[in-house]
Amino acid sequence: MSRQSPLALSLRHLTLVVISFAMLVPFYWVIKTAITNENIYAYPPGILPRDPHLFNFVDVWYLIPFPRYLLNSIIVSAIAVIGNVVFNAMAGYALTRQFTGRRAVLALFLSCMLIPFQATIIPAYLITAKMGLLNTYFGLAFPMLSTIVCIFVFKAAFEAVPKSLIDAARIDGLTEWRIIVRVLLPLSKPAIATNVILTFIWSWNNFLWPLLITRDPNMQTLPLGLARFLSYMEDTTGALYAFAVMVLAPSILVFLMAQKEFIRGLTSGATKG
Amino acid sequence: MSGGSSLVPWLRSRWVIVPGAMIVFTLGWLAYVNSHNHGLVEGRVVDATGKPVPGAAVQLFERGFVTHQERGRTTTDAEGVFRFTDNRSHSIQLEAEAPGLGRSNRHILRLWFAAQDAKLAEPLRFPAPK
Repeated sequence: MSRQSPLALSLRHLTLVVISFAMLVPFYWVIKTAITNENIYAYPPGILPRDPHLFNFVDVWYLIPFPRYLLNSIIVSAIAVIGNVVFNAMAGYALTRQFTGRRAVLALFLSCMLIPFQATIIPAYLITAKMGLLNTYFGLAFPMLSTIVCIFVFKAAFEAVPKSLIDAARIDGLTEWRIIVRVLLPLSKPAIATNVILTFIWSWNNFLWPLLITRDPNMQTLPLGLARFLSYMEDTTGALYAFAVMVLAPSILVFLMAQKEFIRGLTSGATKG
Repeated sequence: MSGGSSLVPWLRSRWVIVPGAMIVFTLGWLAYVNSHNHGLVEGRVVDATGKPVPGAAVQLFERGFVTHQERGRTTTDAEGVFRFTDNRSHSIQLEAEAPGLGRSNRHILRLWFAAQDAKLAEPLRFPAPK
């Protein structure tokens, strides 16, 4: 294996550091605006925050029912995450088994991924309404209870587990469900982390579906609250950006907590041998 | 057996430590808020030379979405001290008015939580007569 010269290595690292900083600039700008009341259109723009304070966050907490929105978002995301891990693990395991029509099911799943959610939103709404789930936490989480991408993540993870291990578990008398829970899931932590992160972020940021099915303001989630806040406080960018930071923070926290397994889950099938 | 190894492994997981730390911090913060949210706002009113102004009317304005609305009114005592006991807001403005002295500048007071007990560091000061 060729060894890189220190100069080339430093140059590569310097480039990566510059790119990383460029990626972080929008986040920095949002946080900088959130802790000041600076006009974002001011020219020349100030790089460092002037007179920073945290009172914009206090304003957000009290001027709208933020705690209620936060609670709603947490409950809905928790239902979506639990549903995803359970249902996707079951579906993923089923797709690793041989059964008649398996290829057709796979083709159906893949073709369903091509259909945008906006195209199926009316039937989804009608089904949810027929089930009496409008304006409920379960209804808010309903379309997110299982996602096809995450089913394939579990399928790939389960296929990587040696078949002999599953056969041994079956010989020991484990049922199919216990094979998933006791054998496959403990060996598929990266897949679980990928499911948790993706579902949490999708559910947390979901705007259109909660907008459609909530009638009661007390059932609204944070993205709806953000839109409502924007309509009330369009001239105060500091408070608006503080709201954006408060909405973003839980997603970033969950990602940071699960990033090791998440990255392993994404790269586990990337190399062979 | 060493102390570190006796700790149950899942207790050392970041999925326990981070939410646990957040819960502890939140409970501590709520305890602090509950012991400091009586709605007391206290301060002094002085004239341009720094002398206390007794009998000055002090108004408390509470922040709404767009404007500040008057929520309380009191008068200063012989020492020029005023006190509100029922502030509910997290963001208020205070203004004093006295016959012959006019109006003081509005003092903006931003609090860390609603009804936080607060004492003005600087008094409300009337401008010098023209």
